[in-house]
Amino acid sequence: MERFTRNRFPNTPFLFFTGKGGVGKTSVACSLSISMASERKKVLLISTDPASNLQDIFGQTLLNSPTKVKGTDNLYALNLDPEQAAANYKEQMVGPYRGKLPEVVLQNMEEQLSGACTVEIAAFNEFSSLLTNPKIVDEFDTIVFDTAPTGHTLRLLQLPSAWSTFLDENTTGTSCLGPLKGLEPQREMYKDAVAQLTNGDQTTLMLVTRPETNPLKEAARASSELFEIGIENQVLIVNGLMQSSSEDAVEKAFISRQSAALETMSIDLKCFKQYSLPFVPYSLSSIDRMQAWMTDEPVAHVQQGSNSLLIPHVEEMIADYLTRKPKIIFSMGKGGVGKTTVASYIALRLAEEGMRVHLTTTDPAAHINWTLGEDQIENVTVSRIDPKVEIANYEAEVLAKASETMNEEGLAFVKEDLASPCTEEIAVFRAFANVVEEHQDKVIIIDTAPTGHTLLLLDATESYHREISRSQGDIPISVAKLLPRLRDKNYTSVAIVTLPEATPVYEATRLQQDLLRAGLNVDWWVVNQSFALVDTKSKILLLKRLAEVKWLEEIKQKSGDRFVAIPWVKEAPVGVTGLHALKGETVK
Amino acid sequence: MGKIHIYEPAMCCSTGVCGPSIDPELLRMSFIMNNLKNTDVEAIRFNLTNEPNVFVEHQAINELLMAEGMDCLPATFVDGELVTKGGYPTNAQFAEWSGLSEEELVKKPKVRLSFKGDA
Repeated sequence: MERFTRNRFPNTPFLFFTGKGGVGKTSVACSLSISMASERKKVLLISTDPASNLQDIFGQTLLNSPTKVKGTDNLYALNLDPEQAAANYKEQMVGPYRGKLPEVVLQNMEEQLSGACTVEIAAFNEFSSLLTNPKIVDEFDTIVFDTAPTGHTLRLLQLPSAWSTFLDENTTGTSCLGPLKGLEPQREMYKDAVAQLTNGDQTTLMLVTRPETNPLKEAARASSELFEIGIENQVLIVNGLMQSSSEDAVEKAFISRQSAALETMSIDLKCFKQYSLPFVPYSLSSIDRMQAWMTDEPVAHVQQGSNSLLIPHVEEMIADYLTRKPKIIFSMGKGGVGKTTVASYIALRLAEEGMRVHLTTTDPAAHINWTLGEDQIENVTVSRIDPKVEIANYEAEVLAKASETMNEEGLAFVKEDLASPCTEEIAVFRAFANVVEEHQDKVIIIDTAPTGHTLLLLDATESYHREISRSQGDIPISVAKLLPRLRDKNYTSVAIVTLPEATPVYEATRLQQDLLRAGLNVDWWVVNQSFALVDTKSKILLLKRLAEVKWLEEIKQKSGDRFVAIPWVKEAPVGVTGLHALKGETVK
Repeated sequence: MGKIHIYEPAMCCSTGVCGPSIDPELLRMSFIMNNLKNTDVEAIRFNLTNEPNVFVEHQAINELLMAEGMDCLPATFVDGELVTKGGYPTNAQFAEWSGLSEEELVKKPKVRLSFKGDA
């Protein structure tokens, strides 16, 4: 596989990065932008991630307008925070009525504008206006979008077609988009944005992945979904490819896991140009290091932190669960850190200790079956919440109910309301509540979607819950009961999964803060794929271990010393045997 | 014939299906409003989310809101007179105002359900 070098940079004015969180999208997008800018190209780097990592890397606060990056000549960056965009939008809608309507009324209006619809449309609005703003487009040679995790990215990109259909069909003018009355004038802008995205001379989609099975599957899925939308100009970047001829057993296993994963690459991906970027044992946390990475310059390694850090094994967490017996366990974190693996491990171990367990996922990119493999495990049942299926079920239910009291015209009206993006959030939320309800007699372990989506789900939970207290509809009991249970420390436990690297730790920290704000209690931090617990003589992996120390110490502090680590394992952790390897050495 | 104006609280959507459950009252309302379309009664729903300015400019509703807060919604005015607040009018009331029978207001014609997923 050819190394990605500067003469391979795409020359379209727009570059879009997509890939599972944690595969290094930000690093690649950022390094590429820095390299291009150093060639006298004027580059704008845009982050649509609510938890922007760019701010960490550049060490400066980014605004929602282009800001020059310190220490570079032609690089500008911009943070497009969907939550902020939604907040601005809300103020725009409600602001004019302050003082003219009572405070309670304004609160009621604001609450209705707090849904997922508003966040998405507001974000897409910003995004389209950047793509179609001649001032911005003409001012820069290249505009790089470092997008949010895959699921969110897909939704963002699928919106234009969804919204335009919706607008075309929306004849009564009242709907979920009611509050977005200003939408109609933007139609042309949305059309233009989609035209730019689907034009191969204008846009290149950069699929970032790692040489690992799940990220490669994920890349293939994202690739074909976006291809179907019409984004056909795609390039694959395999990030973190290790080249080595060492005799060290662990390093050899690392290489063979890598090769085995690459052999499973889907035919769909092989249609596109493929490049690799080298594995480096240091974190790409500064502009200098990013430049060094692109040009293969050596980096000085400095050990930060102590040598005597005691690292607890994952079984400590299992023992805690066996003692405390929470009813719901969330394994949370950004995509790509191994939430599914951790959720599967917890499920397997609790089942082996005699508990009855139900494992489920709300991640649109679910792959629990890939993790548990073909094994049938006693005491474990598995389910998946597939948003598409849930929407179909929900619609059928609503329409069946509506048809009892409505004529055809009325039904057409209801259908129109169901064509809104809110529907997905509700459908998924209800399904989630039902899982909790149906498996009362079991411990429910939930592997959640990436951060943004997770929080939207919880936000949705919160606002529906408030809605419930005043709504007269016949509410499923499962829904009414759910939120207080999620906030009950004895009932629900949250384990945040992360990697011992800069970006995942920052992201996990933000997630922890967000969860605390949502009233959820974070119980454990799980550090996945750590080399600290691996016995190796490999030079590059020992450097990697050295680089981990700082992050492990940070995690120890951030988790209040409630963290466990899972070693990097020689075989992909699939099936019972594969999962057992995660225990590490010397654990009975 | 009369003007029926209904002032409603902010809602994510007008039918009430956009929520964790379906509010039968909201379904009944959208159904009745649709049936009234075929009469010469002018029936309009004003939603706080979509048309906050109406709630500012319409003096009677504005005063009602200032005095009683959200609990007064939904409020219904017939020919400018406040007739109900804090809930929707009954089918009997709608029948009286529109000249349609209650049966006609809630008549159930045959319905063919076709789901988006079938397309």
